Amino acid sequence: MFILTKFSDLVQISPEDFSKHSIVAIEDNINAKYANKVVQKIGLCISLYDVLWTSEGLIGHGTGLVNVNVEFRMIVFRPFKGEVMLGRIRSSTPSGIHLRTDFFDDIFVPYEELPQGAEYNHSEQIWIWNFDEERLFYDNHEMVRFQVIDEEWHDQTPAGPTAAEDTPAKTPYKIKGSMAAEGLGVCLWWDGA
Amino acid sequence: MKVIEAQNAVLTNYEVLQHLSQQKNLYKLRKRRGPPNLETVVRELIQYLQSYPNPLSQKPSAYTPNCISQLLERLSPYELSKGEVVMILNLRPASVAALNTVIEEMAERFNDEQQEEMVNIILEVLGQFEASANANGNEDDAGEDTNA
Repeated sequence: MFILTKFSDLVQISPEDFSKHSIVAIEDNINAKYANKVVQKIGLCISLYDVLWTSEGLIGHGTGLVNVNVEFRMIVFRPFKGEVMLGRIRSSTPSGIHLRTDFFDDIFVPYEELPQGAEYNHSEQIWIWNFDEERLFYDNHEMVRFQVIDEEWHDQTPAGPTAAEDTPAKTPYKIKGSMAAEGLGVCLWWDGA
Repeated sequence: MKVIEAQNAVLTNYEVLQHLSQQKNLYKLRKRRGPPNLETVVRELIQYLQSYPNPLSQKPSAYTPNCISQLLERLSPYELSKGEVVMILNLRPASVAALNTVIEEMAERFNDEQQEEMVNIILEVLGQFEASANANGNEDDAGEDTNA
């Protein structure tokens, strides 16, 4: 579920941070820039893991910023294809079920990835799995096990004035999941019985 | 920003939680806070990792720093892929049915006896929920009977 990714970046320490130890200032700078942000094709950055190398601090003309080149490793959330994870049901629509974890919201299980015999109940707005004459409910906020089958990336870098202004921003990183296989779906069904 | 190596290593949930709690303690000790975006994601992630049925929600934790190497050693004869072992560490499957979800084509690769053995190794090395041990009493008993 989590990987370490090695980055190199230019860290600029502003004069008000000079009272901090250099390493602390560098850590804060990196975390402020990366934590809780998605890097395209890499994943959701969580936190700095360690600093591998730093250059000397250099002050350029005109500003008081100290420029340091840093190589470091970040903890990144990037589940691999086929990985089984836990998540919570956020909402259900006829097209499928939206899942979330506490820190990541964009997980979607399309209806064709639900087990056979699943049907959508429009009045309750939930999915129901008819299994051996039993009706099992995909209730909201229920903890489920799902398998990652695909991922979708949308670069949010501004495209320039040609792009229409009112197009809604797409989520930068989206996971497509499946709950069709045996043992997947609401945890209670499998663990409690 | 330049990505030097997209995937330098794979971490298990336990290692991530370990790192984050250490960092949190260090911040507390030095009486300072990280940037707000870091605080948010760390708080939410710790909450996720410590909510039931995640095995890390168990108190006191059944995981120890050397249980990863121990598990790797014990499971080496079964030739599981790295991803499968990572999932076992993250989810701690407590029954053959749960193990089936994390191991690809389990029925073809392993016979029933081997599957039971793997579940038992996981139980021994990584422990299990006490409450679930009672709730799943019948299932676990059945498993032990076949072994005896």
